[in-house]
Amino acid sequence: MSHCRKRCKRQLTKVFRLFYRFLTGTLEKDSVEDDFELSTVCHRPEGLDKLQEQTKFTKKELQVLYRGFKNECPCGVVNEETFKTIYSQFFPQGDSGAYAHFLFEAFDTNKNGSVSFEDFVFGLSIILRGTINDRLNWAFNLYDQNKDGCITKEEMMDIMKSIYDMMGKYTYPCMHEEAPREHVESFFQKMDRNNDGVVTIDEFIETCQKDENIMQSMQLFDNVI
Amino acid sequence: MAAGVAAWLPFARAAAIGWMPVATRPMPVPPREKKKSQDQGLLVLNVSGQKFQTWSNTLERYPDTLLGSTERDFFFHEETNEYFFDRDPDIFRHILNFYRTGKLHYPRQECIAAYDEELSFFGIIPEIIGDCCYEEYKDRRRENQERLQDDEDDEKEDVAPLNMTFREYMWRAFENPHTSTTALVLYYVTGFFIAISVMANVVETVPCGTLPNRAKEISCGDRYALAFFCLDTACVMIFTVEYLLRLIAAPSRYNFMKSVMSIIDVVAIMPYYIGLVMTDNDQVSGAFVTLRVFRVFRIFKFSRHSAGLRILGYTLKSCASELGFLLFSLTMAIIIFATVMFYAEKGSTSSKFTSIPAAFWYTIVTMTTLGYGDMVPKTIVGKIFGSICSLSGVLVIALPVPVIVSNFSRIYHQSQRAEKRRAQKKTRIAKIRASKSRGTNAYMHYKQYNGHFLTHSSLEEACKEAGQLLVGKPNIPFESHHHHLLHCLEKTTNHEFIDEQTFETNCMEVTMVNKSGSRTSSMSGSSSPHGLSSCCSRRHRRKSFSLPNSNNQELSTIQIRERPIVNSRSSLNAKPDFETVPLKSGHSYVTSSVVTLPPAASSLLTSSDNGGSSSSTCNYSQSNIVRVSAL
Repeated sequence: MSHCRKRCKRQLTKVFRLFYRFLTGTLEKDSVEDDFELSTVCHRPEGLDKLQEQTKFTKKELQVLYRGFKNECPCGVVNEETFKTIYSQFFPQGDSGAYAHFLFEAFDTNKNGSVSFEDFVFGLSIILRGTINDRLNWAFNLYDQNKDGCITKEEMMDIMKSIYDMMGKYTYPCMHEEAPREHVESFFQKMDRNNDGVVTIDEFIETCQKDENIMQSMQLFDNVI
Repeated sequence: MAAGVAAWLPFARAAAIGWMPVATRPMPVPPREKKKSQDQGLLVLNVSGQKFQTWSNTLERYPDTLLGSTERDFFFHEETNEYFFDRDPDIFRHILNFYRTGKLHYPRQECIAAYDEELSFFGIIPEIIGDCCYEEYKDRRRENQERLQDDEDDEKEDVAPLNMTFREYMWRAFENPHTSTTALVLYYVTGFFIAISVMANVVETVPCGTLPNRAKEISCGDRYALAFFCLDTACVMIFTVEYLLRLIAAPSRYNFMKSVMSIIDVVAIMPYYIGLVMTDNDQVSGAFVTLRVFRVFRIFKFSRHSAGLRILGYTLKSCASELGFLLFSLTMAIIIFATVMFYAEKGSTSSKFTSIPAAFWYTIVTMTTLGYGDMVPKTIVGKIFGSICSLSGVLVIALPVPVIVSNFSRIYHQSQRAEKRRAQKKTRIAKIRASKSRGTNAYMHYKQYNGHFLTHSSLEEACKEAGQLLVGKPNIPFESHHHHLLHCLEKTTNHEFIDEQTFETNCMEVTMVNKSGSRTSSMSGSSSPHGLSSCCSRRHRRKSFSLPNSNNQELSTIQIRERPIVNSRSSLNAKPDFETVPLKSGHSYVTSSVVTLPPAASSLLTSSDNGGSSSSTCNYSQSNIVRVSAL
């Protein structure tokens, strides 16, 4: 009973407060100071030497990477929002949010919701300085959202749609609704050897190694930095 | 575009690894790497003797400014191996900080004109100024411009533009009476007649003595009816002539007729004409009398003569919500007290409080502390509540009035500032979007240049002679890598980036062609000959296709040249990646569609000799309908 009364009282005070605000003319809440929680979480990466041992970058490259990283994220870690913002600046015409989300998941190896400089550099080291197999593994990891070792059609569909979303609306030829689905179908036709509806890591690597185009494009990453 | 995050370009390029396994076509070749030694150097910027040092990467974050582009090479001083700028070092500090932090600040002690000059020298648009300093910057700029404008206006008013038409001259005379003596005379004459007319309206109701054979006093208007009628006629004639002249002289008659002043003019002279039309008709005389009331609107014509009236009208308009709120709260209080007084006085005999609405009058008179005394409460309860009413009236009225007064000034200034900020925001966003689209346009230009780069050397030379495309080549490594990245995305998805206008035209064509194609497989489509016509010529016919340099001559020559190639199936198959070069930007979209045709469709090419229609590579299923891009 008292619980009911308390609720009643609370509602009543709320109504009176609303009435009061209506009378006084301030129908909008006074702008409460937004708690700008400046993320006091500041993360310092490990020493330059240690990172150099763990990755395949030279000292200079690490310096350049860190300066760029720190400039955009002064607190030392990048969360998903910032990640998406940065990535979207490269693709002004389309919506790169979905693909950036997948990338973020792939970079954030310890699943703590933020990408530190070490995660960032480890990921880049695999992509830019790893062997072709490493790169293919990383790409597979990107596609495999639930990390169960196989890519289903739904997962691939998500990825494909996110890639097509980056193109935006103004494309030539006009973007079809079915274009991603068709692409996924052709991808599965190529990759899924035993036709079990999923692509496992071995099928993936095997097919990619046999495909000239893919092999060649994987080598594009050698000279990025 | 992507200015502040140039350092993340390697990451963006690495992220493209996700596209590689799904792409069905080979990726384009990455741009050549320039020698790396430049990238990691410290640059020395000597600005009038004060030396600044920064990484070259920092400056290259914003490639469309002077320091970030190759334009700074013009300032390179070889003897000292530094970049020398003969500019103000104090302001340069802020500009360099912009590169470092991405935020441009405006120092308050600097002169706005000097700052603007520096910004324009270094190629930075002021819209980038951070929010912390933007308002200050805009205020100072506005003051400066107003000062310049006032100077200009003073000059302009003395100097009349030489060849004005008579209409423009009249309009100018009406709007600025100080420009010429005729205008001034007109101004004063109309003012005088407005005053006369208003006074006549007032005086004609004054009782003017009695007629010899009547006891009742009659008003002056009835006594000297003819004189007043003549005066009224004269005034109305003058007003009519003035209104018609203004209407003729107005640059935009529709806008003039919509304006408040013209409505006031019309309302002021209409009653007279309506009165002329319907005279001596008893039924409408009541309405006629009402119309005479509108003659008082003539007094509003004075607002053309007085700036203060205009400002008052504007402030009332902008404070309307506050006034409305005051009215609402008053109404609430009135209703409450009227109800209470009515029920309190219900018991007393011969009470004037016959109903609640009747009590409204008492409440209003009491709350505004007027106290006419025509209605007074007689019971004790009534008197108690009456006194509460008058006390609360003082509070209810007295409190909001200063608030309203201060609201006047606050809202006035605030609405001005809000308007400014909104307008600023719109232009800021528009400019930022323009620079973004400049970036995408840069990519379009890059594409056509790149396509051009891959083809016949003869065309390349022709283009070099034309000299237009060389300017567009991105020498900056960031730009070229970024364009390569976008190109990879295009190849992955088998679609291309185009701009909005091209997109709309293409989509319209595709729907037209789909319509015609669905009817019959034979290309001699019946009712819509346009369905068959080539893509290019359709574009050529439709004016809406706005290419930057589209040239009809160009279209036809390209068409003729390419036709032999189209006819031979083998040649098409032989060059799957053949991007024939357009000399102008639009055709790159047309030609590349050849590439995206699946080989299956090419088998039907030979049957499509008659011009072909626009390609729609989206429908791979419609393979029995030939789609050939208009080459």
